[in-house]
Amino acid sequence: MNAAPPMMNRPAAILSSTLLSCLLLTSCSSMKMPAFLRNPSSEAVVYALGPRDGFTSPLNGSLKPACPALVFENADFQLTSAHQQAVNSLAQEMIQNKKARLLVAGYTAPNLPPDHARSLSERRALAVRQRLIELGLEAANVQTVGFGNDFSPTGPSSDVVVIYRQN
Amino acid sequence: MNARALLFILTLVVCHGTQAEAGVMDRLRGLLSFGGGKSKTEEPKKIMPRIRVGSFSGGTGASAQQALRQELLDSREFFVAGADEKADYLVEGTSSGGRVTGKLRDGKGKDLFQRSYAAPGLDENLKALTDDVIYTITGRPGLATSRIVFVSNVSGKRQIYICDAEGGEVHQVTHDKHGAVAPSLSPDSSMIAFTSYRSGFPIIRLLDLNVGWERGVTDTPGSSFGSAFSPDGTHLAAVMSFIGNPEIFVSDLNTNTAACVSDSVGAPSSPSWHPDGRQIVFSSDDGDGPKLYIVEVPQKEGESSRLYRWRTGYHFCTDPEWSPDGRHIAFTTRTSGEWTVAIKSYPNGGVQVVQAGGAEHPSWSPNGHFITYVQHGELFVHDLRSGNRRSILRGYGHISEPRWMR
Repeated sequence: MNAAPPMMNRPAAILSSTLLSCLLLTSCSSMKMPAFLRNPSSEAVVYALGPRDGFTSPLNGSLKPACPALVFENADFQLTSAHQQAVNSLAQEMIQNKKARLLVAGYTAPNLPPDHARSLSERRALAVRQRLIELGLEAANVQTVGFGNDFSPTGPSSDVVVIYRQN
Repeated sequence: MNARALLFILTLVVCHGTQAEAGVMDRLRGLLSFGGGKSKTEEPKKIMPRIRVGSFSGGTGASAQQALRQELLDSREFFVAGADEKADYLVEGTSSGGRVTGKLRDGKGKDLFQRSYAAPGLDENLKALTDDVIYTITGRPGLATSRIVFVSNVSGKRQIYICDAEGGEVHQVTHDKHGAVAPSLSPDSSMIAFTSYRSGFPIIRLLDLNVGWERGVTDTPGSSFGSAFSPDGTHLAAVMSFIGNPEIFVSDLNTNTAACVSDSVGAPSSPSWHPDGRQIVFSSDDGDGPKLYIVEVPQKEGESSRLYRWRTGYHFCTDPEWSPDGRHIAFTTRTSGEWTVAIKSYPNGGVQVVQAGGAEHPSWSPNGHFITYVQHGELFVHDLRSGNRRSILRGYGHISEPRWMR
């Protein structure tokens, strides 16, 4: 006859599992997050910006947008599927011309604190640049600028990233 | 409460405690201290020194005596005694043609200083004398000669302006082609660092207010903004993005070299130095709204530094600025959907809402008694001791990003 395995009583089981999770959680600050939980974008290779010589600012002349403006909502800087789609089509078009250069400019709505707005708009512009490079554009040919809410772009929304074609 | 619920709460408290952050522990301390007694940060009430304005001889002596008495009263640093009252200090002197010579003595008759002031106006000379009297007696800088820089679009473009602590003597500082924003005054208020759009791209420039020369600090690709002078004026903290990420950099103004001190995956902004020059507080948005972080500035090459989140209890925090004594941080947050200026004791302590209803971008006065901020494009000075505030500049376009000289 088989003997029943020894069972831990219920309160002791709860106590030991809580202590175990407590220990795990307290060591979180020194533990590296497992790869499958990490945000893939935070681990991606970040491409430094090349020299800006020869690039024209939209403040100095009327530049032609390379595609419709990418509208951001909820003060976010992650690219949505709509953004990805627009950037993919642009990359397919641009990749034919190896000399083509783009300036990715970020703008935000006027109701954000100015310095935060500058950083957020630059972060969005860099996210778009990163995606363009991942899709095959040369890093040296894509520059960014974050105008925050210091300047408003033309168009119905001001919380946007506009990709300008450079001559 | 059952045992499981109690253990869960304990787990939460332990987790937060080990992260060396404020937050839950602070709130618990706050709850525990409601029972009574003084909070740790509360200072004992200080007795104001008594000062008497003695006679001023010379052609403009009578006006000088009267105006100096008013300046000292307005400073709220002293009890200004009447002619026949006993005082701890006596200030007297001469004034003719607007020039002023002031002498400060203590109660025993010992000379503390004697100085002459020969600026073009009587008012200016008396403000300088007032600040010297305040500094000699209290050890804190006075406000009479202090300046506030700010951004206004009154000319049609955003440009940088400077005014005195009462909103007077407003001067336009920059005339850049596409505008200039994000000003910061050096500790001796001789230089302004700002973000210039003159090339069409945001770069940081330095302007010497005394001699008028200007030079670029950064002309790196991407964006550069949010500059803040170190307390000794030799370094500049700023956000730069040329490495492909916006990060906080510290530039040595003598060698023109820069070191990255942050490690952000988001959008950092608005660095501000601790008065000891060893720590920087900044705001960073990692995707769930901007929060405040503190980073230790390495003092030697290769030295590691600690970077940690500083919890305020609010989800949206920007524009932090350390108080001149390093014991508080003022910042912009959002309450009931509107911008709010708040102060939190550093490293731990409660949060005090200074002004809600659209107030933003706080900056401390050099003596730490006042805060300036903007509310709906108007410039305010808020007395932290009395809670009173007044608008010092209105109808001057839309004012933003004020910074008081440190």
